[in-house]
Amino acid sequence: MCTGRVDPTMIAEAFINDADGVMVVGCHFGDCHYITGNVQGQIKVGLAERVLTYVGLSPKRVSFDQCSSAEGERFVKLVTDFNQGVRELGPLGNGDGLPAPELKEKLSIAKTILAKEKLRWVVGKFTVFVTEGNKYGEVFTDHEMWRTLDTIVMDEVATHQIMRELGQEAVAVKDLAARLKLPAPDVLRYVLALQRRELVDLDGVEGNSPRYKAVGPTAQVA
Amino acid sequence: MKRRSPRLRIAASPCHSFKWGMKLAKDIRIGVFVCDCGSNIAGYLDCPSIAEYAETLPNVVFVKENLYTCSEAGINEIKDAIKDENLNRVVVASCSPRTHEPLFRESCAEAGLNPYLFEMVNIRDQCSWVHMQEREEGNEKAKDLIRMGVAKATLLQPQEPIQSEMDPKSLVIGGGISGMTSALALANRGYQVYLIEKTKDLGGLLRNLSKLAPSNIDAKELIAKQVEAVKNHKNIQLFTSSTIKEIQGYIGHYDVTVSTNGTEEKFGVGVIIIATGARVFKPEGFFNYDGKRVITQFELEALFKSKKFKSKNVVMIQCVGARDEERKYCSRICCLTAIKNGIAIKEQNPEAKVHILYRDIQAYGTENEALYQRSKQLGVRYIKYDQEKPPEVLDNTVKVYHHLLGRELELEQDLVVLSTPLIAGEDNEELSKLLRVTLDENKFFLESHVKLKPLDFATDGVYLCGNAHYPATIREAISQALGAASRASIPLAKGTMTVEPIVSVLADEEACRGCGLCVALCPYGALEIAQTEKGRKVRVIPVACKGCGICAATCYVHALSINSYTDQQVEEQIRAFLSG
Repeated sequence: MCTGRVDPTMIAEAFINDADGVMVVGCHFGDCHYITGNVQGQIKVGLAERVLTYVGLSPKRVSFDQCSSAEGERFVKLVTDFNQGVRELGPLGNGDGLPAPELKEKLSIAKTILAKEKLRWVVGKFTVFVTEGNKYGEVFTDHEMWRTLDTIVMDEVATHQIMRELGQEAVAVKDLAARLKLPAPDVLRYVLALQRRELVDLDGVEGNSPRYKAVGPTAQVA
Repeated sequence: MKRRSPRLRIAASPCHSFKWGMKLAKDIRIGVFVCDCGSNIAGYLDCPSIAEYAETLPNVVFVKENLYTCSEAGINEIKDAIKDENLNRVVVASCSPRTHEPLFRESCAEAGLNPYLFEMVNIRDQCSWVHMQEREEGNEKAKDLIRMGVAKATLLQPQEPIQSEMDPKSLVIGGGISGMTSALALANRGYQVYLIEKTKDLGGLLRNLSKLAPSNIDAKELIAKQVEAVKNHKNIQLFTSSTIKEIQGYIGHYDVTVSTNGTEEKFGVGVIIIATGARVFKPEGFFNYDGKRVITQFELEALFKSKKFKSKNVVMIQCVGARDEERKYCSRICCLTAIKNGIAIKEQNPEAKVHILYRDIQAYGTENEALYQRSKQLGVRYIKYDQEKPPEVLDNTVKVYHHLLGRELELEQDLVVLSTPLIAGEDNEELSKLLRVTLDENKFFLESHVKLKPLDFATDGVYLCGNAHYPATIREAISQALGAASRASIPLAKGTMTVEPIVSVLADEEACRGCGLCVALCPYGALEIAQTEKGRKVRVIPVACKGCGICAATCYVHALSINSYTDQQVEEQIRAFLSG
């Protein structure tokens, strides 16, 4: 199977099912059996790594490497080194940002947003934007693309969690911020954006704080 | 035997406790065949224990260990089991699918089972061979792989091979010796050939050469013969002073637009051969090159041809602009050219002195080696120089540090000849984009596989030969050209294309928004946007698709999938692996 077939959600799925590490090894650039599959593979694995790391996984648990079928020794070294790194961390939840049960919950959020339109669209455009540029001819660097993706990851994770919380009960922004461990002004911004999209509505006012809840068909989805 | 603890518990428990086995259909009947491969597998792994383990897997109703599953006896056991045990999935745990998957699939088909309900697990290359020193771990890994194979087999769907008609015409791009040879080979087989040449004359680089090594044939005669044959062949339609404007399509169905002095012509072909050749590197700024006193081998050939060559002290310098930082590759043919021209000078005037300053001599093959020896016998002197201390061309001499003597020599000269490499054609990048074929780091066309498919591209229906691929001697160019024509004839002769159905498929047409994200990323041009009754939707061109899966991994509405590599199947394998 070409690394180009590796869907970022598959990597999340592996961790959700208790994998301690996921290594994706493809051909060298310019030597890909499927021409450019490995280029896409690297980007997709890179995305999965960023999203999973953002929700608390140690980055040492994901790797994308390259090796030709004639490089047996290199393959052994890559696998041994990766295995060593993962062994030093231990099972999932050790050396990660969160203990295992909480991490698992976050990983399923990660999988959901990896399956969703927003990130996949930008990732799909990655190679086009860094080579040919966008409609206006603006060509971006890898660094700029990843920075953009980082922002989207942050927004997606926060939005997803907010929708989930507000789908269960009406919550005030400051309480929501405390639950999500995010700054209240950021949470307010997300909530107002969701309100504009008619996914969230004012439920009532408690003291000085307005409380919000999820509305519409997506309330259950999250 | 040492076992990792959680595995033992799960493996010993009934099937339905498998996390991944729970939602599976009841009527799936899987047969697993574990191959000993003589002692290749059984010599290192405990095959009976592996077979025993396979019996505990969900949906597995039959397990058999074979001495050689690929032998007639083994094949018969598969066929019998399909009938007797009513198997509807077959898993063989043996060697590499690269060599034996077609055989096992065919056996399934012969027994009435759709061949795509077969799954292969490689426990030889991936277990017994690489883990000879860690047998127990190798054994456990084999069980893991079989568990994954069974998990995937459960979800396999029958597939039908894809058939497509071939347009029996062909296009050859480039009218040099390679292109003409290919065109003639195809035309003589009775196929209509369109031969496109950029310049006004056929013949390519050969038109400028004098004699050819090692056969000493006159280039002019060879060319004249080929040009005549090409021009008079009823099956060849020749376009000179023409360029390719546009190519669209895929194997069997290419639409080509050719522009000749501004007038365009369109036609369809089934296969394409790239024979665009290469250019000679002009060594501006190297060794006082001026094209008169310091010339290239290519220019020396012209002197020979016009019989203007009169020099008495010739110094040749090899690897000029080759095997350096800018062009790391060896152009291969320049050594032979220098040897040949050294002999030519000596034969014309035995009193003339010829020095060849080289870094390494490339004279592979018995005839070339004999030529090299002959040049030495005729008195051509070879001096090895160090790249760090290159020769210095002065007005009437060349200074060179002699590697073995350890001192500097000053050689008289009235002509310096620089051996320069062939470099990639200027149109290569444009053409590679038109045809969606790859170039190597030096912008030469890159073959699909250096050993297994040296004349094919990764894209089906496009072939390459001659200098377009890499600097080649005339003989090599001709044999490659014949080979490429032969490769191209295979689909033409078949008339229809049968393609593996392991390709992209629009699994959820409703979901597709026709955005084109996948179309832009497809390396094979196998996807297009089509207007349908339901609006803009992506359409897969199965004959062009290679099943890399980039589209399925990219689609944000999950509308695309890959047959036999669906998200569900792959995730099931992941879960099966981790449930062990």
